[in-house]
Amino acid sequence: MRDLPVPDPGTPDLRSAPRFIGWLIARQRTGVMLGIVWGCSWMVAQALVPAAIGAAVDALAARRPGPFAADCLAVLALGAATAVAGILRHRRVVTCFLDAAYRIIQLVTAHAVTLGATLARLTSTGEVVSISTADVEAVGGAIDVTGRGSGAVAALIAVAIILLSRSVPLGLIVLVGAPVLTALVGVLLRPLHQRQRRYRDLQGKLASRAADIVAGLRVLRGIGGESAFSARYREQSQQLRHTGVSVARTESFLAGAEVLLPGLFVTAATWIAAHYALHRAITLGELVTFYAYTSFLALPLATLTEAADKIVRGHVGAGRIISVLRLTPDATDPTCGAAEPGPDATLHDPVSGVTVTAGELVGLAADDLAQAVRLADRIGRYSSPEPAAWPGAGRAAEPGPGPGPGPEPGPGPELGGVPLADLPVAVLRARILVATNDAHLFAGRLDEQLAGAGLVDLHAMPVAVSAAAAHDVLDAIPGGLAGHLAARGRTLSGGQAQRLRLARALLADPEILVLVEPTSAVDAHTEASIALGLREARLGRTTVVVTNSPLLLDRTDRVLFLQDGTVTAAGSHADLLRSSPQYASAVTRGAEP
Amino acid sequence: MMPVTAGRAEADQAAAAVPSATQILPVAAGTAVRAHARRAMATRWRELTVVVCLYAGATLAGLVPPRLLGTIVTMVQRGTTAGRVDLLAGFIAAALIVQSVLIRFGALAGGKLGEALLAIFREDFIDGVLGLPLSVVERAGSGDLVTRSSRDVNELSVTARKGVPAMLTAALTVSLTVGAIALDNPLLVVPCLIVVPPVWAVSRWYLRRAPAGYLRESASWGVLTDSLAETVEGARTVEALRLGPVRRARADADIAACYAAERYTLRLRTFFLPAAEASYILPLAGVLAFGGYAYFHGWCTLGQVTAAALYARALVTPMDELIGWLDHLQTGTAALARLLGLADVPADRRPGSARPEDEQLSASQVSHAYIAGHDVLKQISLDVLPGERIAIVGPSGAGKSTLGRLLAGIHAPDLGQVTVGGVPLTELPLEDLRGQIALVTQEHHLFAGTIRDNITLGVPDAGDQAVSSALAAVDALGWVQVLADGLDTAVGAGGRALSAPQAQQIALARLVLANPHTLILDEATSLIDPRSARRLERSLSAVLDGRTVVAIAHRLHTAHDADRVIVMEDGQITESGAHRQLIEAQGPYAALWSSWHGDSSIPVHGTVENTDAGGRVGG
Repeated sequence: MRDLPVPDPGTPDLRSAPRFIGWLIARQRTGVMLGIVWGCSWMVAQALVPAAIGAAVDALAARRPGPFAADCLAVLALGAATAVAGILRHRRVVTCFLDAAYRIIQLVTAHAVTLGATLARLTSTGEVVSISTADVEAVGGAIDVTGRGSGAVAALIAVAIILLSRSVPLGLIVLVGAPVLTALVGVLLRPLHQRQRRYRDLQGKLASRAADIVAGLRVLRGIGGESAFSARYREQSQQLRHTGVSVARTESFLAGAEVLLPGLFVTAATWIAAHYALHRAITLGELVTFYAYTSFLALPLATLTEAADKIVRGHVGAGRIISVLRLTPDATDPTCGAAEPGPDATLHDPVSGVTVTAGELVGLAADDLAQAVRLADRIGRYSSPEPAAWPGAGRAAEPGPGPGPGPEPGPGPELGGVPLADLPVAVLRARILVATNDAHLFAGRLDEQLAGAGLVDLHAMPVAVSAAAAHDVLDAIPGGLAGHLAARGRTLSGGQAQRLRLARALLADPEILVLVEPTSAVDAHTEASIALGLREARLGRTTVVVTNSPLLLDRTDRVLFLQDGTVTAAGSHADLLRSSPQYASAVTRGAEP
Repeated sequence: MMPVTAGRAEADQAAAAVPSATQILPVAAGTAVRAHARRAMATRWRELTVVVCLYAGATLAGLVPPRLLGTIVTMVQRGTTAGRVDLLAGFIAAALIVQSVLIRFGALAGGKLGEALLAIFREDFIDGVLGLPLSVVERAGSGDLVTRSSRDVNELSVTARKGVPAMLTAALTVSLTVGAIALDNPLLVVPCLIVVPPVWAVSRWYLRRAPAGYLRESASWGVLTDSLAETVEGARTVEALRLGPVRRARADADIAACYAAERYTLRLRTFFLPAAEASYILPLAGVLAFGGYAYFHGWCTLGQVTAAALYARALVTPMDELIGWLDHLQTGTAALARLLGLADVPADRRPGSARPEDEQLSASQVSHAYIAGHDVLKQISLDVLPGERIAIVGPSGAGKSTLGRLLAGIHAPDLGQVTVGGVPLTELPLEDLRGQIALVTQEHHLFAGTIRDNITLGVPDAGDQAVSSALAAVDALGWVQVLADGLDTAVGAGGRALSAPQAQQIALARLVLANPHTLILDEATSLIDPRSARRLERSLSAVLDGRTVVAIAHRLHTAHDADRVIVMEDGQITESGAHRQLIEAQGPYAALWSSWHGDSSIPVHGTVENTDAGGRVGG
């Protein structure tokens, strides 16, 4: 067995879906070939059993014990061959399936990482996730079915040779009749598929109703409405039940037809064959063989139908996978590389007039904090998020492809005189970190998650944790730093998650750190402690804190106050409180706007 | 054969379902599951009997053709007429028709029965969910319930709709086929029975390991999917923190874990499948060899050997079905155990007949611990006067939220009492409690349904007038009226997407309509987008108007506006009094307040403060 995952998934051929599948197969040519070889052996071994039984009957009829014993041994040997080839084929194709599936997941992960912030704008999480489930399954299925599919073809050829060599007319009846029957059953299946689709739709709706109840259970148990929800669920559940019964009705006809049609065919063929046998045109053993084949053929034919279906699905799945792998990032690197600004560069935004010199801890307050948040986005060169559809703006806030980065209002922010837009993204991300509250907390060992891209540093970690006042979060997670952090920090309160994000940003220790509302969800006591810790942790590094919290602003070197998006006042928190009534009102929220 | 993709098909359903270490909800015991299944069957024993009879009849009819073919072989061997062959062929056709008709009615009756039972199980489960005690809902989290309501219901559905009928048919077919061989010639049963012990042993070996193996396999696919979803969802964070290599390494590690799980089940199948496959062919070879021996000795006819061989060959399909479904039956039973487990959650309220005399909310000498020995609250007493505004402040972990939950009647205190109008909260029926006190958190779930449905949750008979005025009270009537369908606009999953502040307004309108006299606010506005904070605060203050309010506060200005400030530390109340009193007392609260203002000389009232500061600038 091979070792998976492979260290490097390679560069896929994205020109078309078949080429992509072809590329996946080419990665494991030997495996797929062996799968086909074993698949053929497995199916042909099964196909020879009826012939062996027929031969045995003939040997019996002729009263020849020697050949009869040989025939019995042949049946046994064919059984052993079926078992051995079957499992070898199975092991081979499962490995091929997994190789393809894992490779696709590696490719999608790598590509998602490359796309970064662009990804969320171009496609939904659900769409990408359906790749890792449905589409991977479809493509893997198409590769998996190569073994059995080729086996089915081989078996059909073997059966054709055997039957035609015994009796051409009888052989033709079986070889033509069996596929016609399979096609006929396929036609009968169509209305069933429609009902099953309806059933699955209703089943999905009922499942989302249950999910809805579970997700809102606190609200329901707190405010009431259980009986209405129970009744609604019951109603939908009964609807599903009735659809289920109607599916069962169609299925029951089909189940009957699946016995009747092939059965009548077998009977007719056997009846004709019996007449042949009566006239000694075929032997008794051959009569038994014909009888056995009429039913055996259903297996390779069903396999072929399945293979066709899986190949079509695989094609569709591959199409969806390559459409994601073909996406390109927004923030492309500039073609003419600007000289990288040296260390201790000054951050400057011409539009707002914000200037932050190296090593400073600057507070950025605003009459409308949203403007300051947007400035932080500009510094990070992220496409601005859509302004929230606030009351009356008659459009649904549906996720989906939005516009790209809008035109920047005037010249963009600069670092050491070099426009940030002229820097390669990698350089930008290496020097500036914009830490926001929607930053994702990933599932995993807590210390590793806090360390982010770096290694777990036993010295820095406790310092950052205490600077972010996150001690109690360690207590809330069983095992503390070595414990498991749930995705999105969903077992934590908003305040706890926020402090972990802060600790992570501090541990990343970027040259310039822009913190957006780092304490919006923590209580005043904790906020006061963070204000102190932050100062110590960022000593000598450049830090911008976007906040209107007086506890934080009081501990900064300098506060810049934005009004209508531009700096109108600068100075210490205490000075500004005295000199600017607008500032005082903004940071103490003493008065309504 | 075993489905090649066994386990993988469940992987997508398992996406959300990595088993958590802290399972709070119980799982029903095996005996309880069997008893429940028996009871459910007992109520429908008539239908069940009909199904079994129809399937048995169909199987019997299906045994006729091989037997008749054997007769044809014997007759042809001994010489017969074309007419008799035609007659036998006609009998075969007739048997087929009978078989198909019985199968058709059997499948329909089985389908009806399965659907009916399934509907009962899932409806009982949802009723169980809706009846879960408040304290359990607060603590259990939704992950486990999500798994139960999605994966377990699906698993049970597959088992009930497909598995049980398939196994029933297969079991009947196997036993009746062996019976038919016995009728054909009792001697020929022996080679069929030889394989029973080894098949039983191998199946037992496999089935002991398979469920855990497949569960681990599907969970590992779930982890893989979750990780990828996280990489995509947190793509901006990945970019900002340069986590690319970390995420790729993570994917590789998840794949390695998944591969290990896959290899384990593959190893199980490597032993099991060939053994099962051999067990299908052994009876055939045995029947043939033994039958031939008997034929040579004149103990049976050629036709009997032929019929027995064909029967033995016909055993392959049902045996395969039977073994293939066995592990599904196990997972189905496990799913049923989890669904039925909800019934074992003990009730946490003991509703009595006493009704509150007034609106006075009191906690006296209250202690509470989630883990025995770790008291989160230590003998706290607090009287909330009707109409009073209380702000609770204090560092994280001080027990503020726990006190809030106790005051809202969600948890019962371990020691002491929380009463409203003299009646302990947990002795009030839930409906009465809701009319008295409500807990408001930052959570704002919108249910799939209309805006009206979402507001009238607790008051189903509320008219449009009441709904509209509730919306108007929270300042949301404007944007709701602008919507094309107004109150009938579908929201929530599958409906129109509302912004977070809009959803929060709907949640507040619910409260206005439910009209409790006391509200416990737990960080109700802590995660509001700064762009909409002020607007929402206005909505909230409209809701608070005229009610008793206990607010667990993050922002000191909330404390400043309150009638009384309670400072909590380490499960105890350390300071209590009006804002002004606490400032004058010069305790920790005063220190915090002064740091918040940057200048302790600034007077405490916001409006005055502005004029004052402005005046100073002017001066």
